[in-house]
Amino acid sequence: MKTIPLLISLLFIFNMNANAVTLRAVMENVPDTGFIQELLPEFTAKTGIEVEFEVMGYGEMHPKLVPSLIASTGSYDFMPVDFYWVGEFDKAGWMMSLDDFIKKDEFDTSVYFDSLMDLTGRIGDTTYMLPFYNYAMGLTVRKDLLDDSSNQAKFEDKYGMKLKLPTEWDEYLNQVEFFTDKDKGFYGVVNQGGKADPIAMEWSNYLFARGGDFHDDNWNGLLTSNNALEALKDYVSMVNNYGPLGAESFGFDEAFNVAAQGNAYSYLTYNFFLNSYNDPEQSAVVGKMELIPVPGEGGLNGAWGWSIPKSSPNAEAAWEFLKWVESPDIAKRRAALGGAPTRKDVFNDPDLNEQFDHYPLLKDLLATAKNFPLFTYTPQFVEVMGTELSKAVIGEQDPAVALKIMNDELEALAAKDGKR
Amino acid sequence: MNKISYYNRRFGYLLASPAILILVLIILVPITISIITSFFDYTLIDRDLDKFTGLKNYFSVINNPKFINSFFVTISFVIFVVLFEFLLGFLIAILLNKVTKFRNIYYFILLIPLLINPVVVGLIWRMFLHPQLGIVNYLIGFLGISPVNWLGDPQIAFVTIIFVDIWHQVSFMIILLLAGLASIPEEPYEAARIDGANEFRQFLDITLPYMRPVIIITLLIRLIFAVKTYDLIYIMTKGGPGEATDLISYYIYRSAFISLNLGEAASMSVLLLIIICVIIFPLFKYMNRADE
Repeated sequence: MKTIPLLISLLFIFNMNANAVTLRAVMENVPDTGFIQELLPEFTAKTGIEVEFEVMGYGEMHPKLVPSLIASTGSYDFMPVDFYWVGEFDKAGWMMSLDDFIKKDEFDTSVYFDSLMDLTGRIGDTTYMLPFYNYAMGLTVRKDLLDDSSNQAKFEDKYGMKLKLPTEWDEYLNQVEFFTDKDKGFYGVVNQGGKADPIAMEWSNYLFARGGDFHDDNWNGLLTSNNALEALKDYVSMVNNYGPLGAESFGFDEAFNVAAQGNAYSYLTYNFFLNSYNDPEQSAVVGKMELIPVPGEGGLNGAWGWSIPKSSPNAEAAWEFLKWVESPDIAKRRAALGGAPTRKDVFNDPDLNEQFDHYPLLKDLLATAKNFPLFTYTPQFVEVMGTELSKAVIGEQDPAVALKIMNDELEALAAKDGKR
Repeated sequence: MNKISYYNRRFGYLLASPAILILVLIILVPITISIITSFFDYTLIDRDLDKFTGLKNYFSVINNPKFINSFFVTISFVIFVVLFEFLLGFLIAILLNKVTKFRNIYYFILLIPLLINPVVVGLIWRMFLHPQLGIVNYLIGFLGISPVNWLGDPQIAFVTIIFVDIWHQVSFMIILLLAGLASIPEEPYEAARIDGANEFRQFLDITLPYMRPVIIITLLIRLIFAVKTYDLIYIMTKGGPGEATDLISYYIYRSAFISLNLGEAASMSVLLLIIICVIIFPLFKYMNRADE
């Protein structure tokens, strides 16, 4: 007789487990993913919902997501969306509108920076994503070298200007030249010149810094401008004259390692690397690197957004997760662990400002960063850009010709997308 | 008697039918779908198979200079890796065939690179070949050699990819060729030695004829896999610098998953299939002749 209650209890437990929701998502192998993983047990304890991340490299994510998005019931309940997939995912109708969830739970989206909501939040009047983490690009430079009085005297003597955190593009170029000493294995700059995303993203900063842009309001290409040509010539010169051997093939991790080992004065990169520079396990320049906005006319914006696919098997539970992970408390704790925030209230938090003295600067960086062309064919355009820029860097393509090809391709793809 | 053999044959077909059905489902159906897709303007964004374009995708691909570049890069890559892997593999297999002790140990050592996932191979070598922080430039520095731009110089990057592929795949050649060498009977060699034939003569007149089917099948398999090389390129160079290492499989991947143009990617795949068939057909024919 005793076995009957035991069996009933077992059946009850089994039934409970059978009904328990497990959310699945593909996540990139970046620090912000790790920070969320640390906090996940709290979400499960609070809601009873399990969350499983499939953590992988960036390049694997898109091919992994697409088959799931095409299916009527996919494998993933929510997904991070890189800003340059947004146009494609929108056109294909793969993302669920979050407006009903937002309205029902009165979730405040005004806490996000407008630039990030434009990038990975709203499309038209519909909110499809919540900004997850930002990766706006900035310039990281060796502050200790700038503060060195001997360097200051020599620089002023040579260039007739003060050695300080650069605010103008030409001033920065002079500094790169000044600090390059290849015989000693020290470089004025390290570039991420690898195909296709690294070089395309980095060069976009050069374009903006030189006052150039990709297109006008009517999507007429602007890449054949003098500004664009100067920007490309600068980039080619940086890689070949002032950078380390092999920068033509570097991804961001390889370029970062050169800078983090103290072999370069500057690296134009994603702002979240500042925390890595200050991690003694990864860096030999702890406390020596300063993050500043790209000198000249500003840098490139970048962000990931949280989205729920239309094919999500558990959309309600996925929204519970999004609401939790983007709640003020969790967003603050992710930031405290070193995450790259997207909420204004996190940037204004006194504790975090005490912990991270670069927050005011980062806030400006996000507010002023410029966006990459966002349309259905952004990934395709990045491929073309990556190839042409790479060919220009290795001397296989004249910079003006490379820019003409990029410009023609941008206009053709924009026309295909109905933008022109 | 005839009736029995007729029923036996039918019973044989019945027994084989599940296997044939599975083969049809997993091989012929996807190939047929790919061929059909190649005649349509079919993208992952617009997934209706309703825009029949005939041979447009094929003409577009053939007239695309980037695809043509990929084609020639692939041909060069395949020739180099298959040739070098074969020559090196055969040489090592012949030398190892003489060794009788610790055979299991060297078989195991040979298998190690093959057991490593190509993605891991790419990552390991990318780390080793980092111009500033990699171990390869550090070691050659002791020999007085200046650091080499392994993946940033177009010509060197192409050679580097070939080298890494050889490192990864040569064991495959060695193991198959070694198995072939081990199966050659000893008697012909004894007879040749009695007749006064030297080692080279024995190699030409006994080893090579006996090994012909193994050599052909080894080359055939390796050739097919070399044409489809993707992982190494994806991890190590992304087809760069410029278009120096842009192999055709990686090009097709980009067409399908970055441009999302499955119609065009399918037409490229069909062309690749035809190219592979054209290459392997003479080898097959030669193998059949050798068997006869």
